[in-house]
Amino acid sequence: MIGQTKKPIKEILEYLDGKKRIIIYGCGGCATVFHTGGEPEVKEMADILTKNGKDVLAAISPPFGEFTCYAPWSKKRMASYKKQVNDCDAVLMLCCGDGLQVAREHILESEFGLTKSIYPATNPIGHMGGGPSLFREKCIQCGECELGKSSGICPMTQCAKGLLNGPCGGTRKDGKCEVNPDNDCAWVLIYKRLKELGELDKMREIMPPKDWSKMQRPRELEVEPLSLE
Amino acid sequence: MVTSFKEVLKSDKFIITAEIGPVKGTNVQKMIDNIEILKDKVDALNVTDNQSAVMRYPSLGTCLLIKEQAGEPIFQITCRDRNRLSIQADLLFSFSRGIENVLCLTGDSLKMGDHPEAKPVYDIDSVQLIQLVHTLNSGKDLSDSSLDGGVSFCIGASATPSADPIEPQLIKYEKKLKAGIDFVQTQAVYDLDELKRFVSYSRNIDKSVKILAGIVLLVSAGMAKWMNENIPGIFVPQNLIDEMAKVPKGEGLSKGIEIAGDIIKKIKDEKICDGVHIMAIGKEEKVPDILKAAGILKV
Repeated sequence: MIGQTKKPIKEILEYLDGKKRIIIYGCGGCATVFHTGGEPEVKEMADILTKNGKDVLAAISPPFGEFTCYAPWSKKRMASYKKQVNDCDAVLMLCCGDGLQVAREHILESEFGLTKSIYPATNPIGHMGGGPSLFREKCIQCGECELGKSSGICPMTQCAKGLLNGPCGGTRKDGKCEVNPDNDCAWVLIYKRLKELGELDKMREIMPPKDWSKMQRPRELEVEPLSLE
Repeated sequence: MVTSFKEVLKSDKFIITAEIGPVKGTNVQKMIDNIEILKDKVDALNVTDNQSAVMRYPSLGTCLLIKEQAGEPIFQITCRDRNRLSIQADLLFSFSRGIENVLCLTGDSLKMGDHPEAKPVYDIDSVQLIQLVHTLNSGKDLSDSSLDGGVSFCIGASATPSADPIEPQLIKYEKKLKAGIDFVQTQAVYDLDELKRFVSYSRNIDKSVKILAGIVLLVSAGMAKWMNENIPGIFVPQNLIDEMAKVPKGEGLSKGIEIAGDIIKKIKDEKICDGVHIMAIGKEEKVPDILKAAGILKV
């Protein structure tokens, strides 16, 4: 999931300065889990904007499980809001940057043929797993998964320096990380697991420099469309 | 320093290197003075690279100053601030100007320094950096293109003899040995038994690698305690902290020099390892006094 936090209201109001008629669009996916763009947050945002003199033309909160970043779903969701979108001065997205850009490109521009201001209400902070309360970044989507060589713990994500060949000299007492003493050193964790699995030889292999070209942005994928029926 | 560091490493001489920490700014006179004081008293001067992630005069620029003063520099290069192109380019420049020794390091985290908002690089790590230098030494770059004019670097690495748990550190060090290094300098050591264990581990894998024990000059009991609490891998034993605490105010530095001299003398007399790397952070001009205290430099 895409971990995210709320942007300060002050920043949002600055974006919306001079824009009167607003559409709020949340997300039934990650933003619901992280309480940044689920139904309660969409409602709360509508109240705040109304109190700040805005006309909220629509406050859209998709049901849990409906991801705004998945264009077929968001197209369906927004189909009945064409008039409000046409009349609005700005769209405020309570979701990650994926959702915002999908709404801009696939709905506002492609579907409705409109050029409208669109603003984010969250700060996305990474691909996270865990929950239901504590989430940790687990994957940087490097394009070439190394978890098979590191006992199922990603050194590029869990190690603050993303080192591939073992710990830096900064491991603190009790195996804590130099950069964030609350965290375990990723390489101490990997070492312990590999040792338990009897696979320490994997740690002794020198890993070559990472092929970062697999992270050349923007990446894209073409897949067989899912049937939504 | 008429002899190249490479030649020194081949000899049986007790090796002494000292650290030069670049200034923040362009006023390089103090560094030049320190280089002048030290260049003929040590085998090489080892220049830190944005040490502690604090932006300073460059390591490479300081190495050039050392060359201009007819000294022998060791270019510390970290993976934190450069990608593989920049590292290779800096190494080509370095060698073209007679800077032929390189110490391959990961680099302290930006969070520790004065530009915590910068984007860290770590495109490669210290083990891969050692391999990269070997690739350049073979006349090729990392893309397998031939170099028009090659390099022949003497390669060093760092190691942490004291860590908890120690095994992951030793496995990493083993990889550095496997990648191929000419010398290693350790994190500051005060516990010589720990140093002995590390030396024995290292020599069991590769006898040819010269081991320089890291010596950090203590200036006060407070500094020793601070290092114990804040610098991973450094452990100053309580008896040394007590010794530092006992001296009258203003005499901490002299005591620190005496302690450093004692440690170096023991390492040399007992032939514990091949030499020392002295880090007299900010007190580089005191290195000759440390060497006198160790009985290496005549008073």
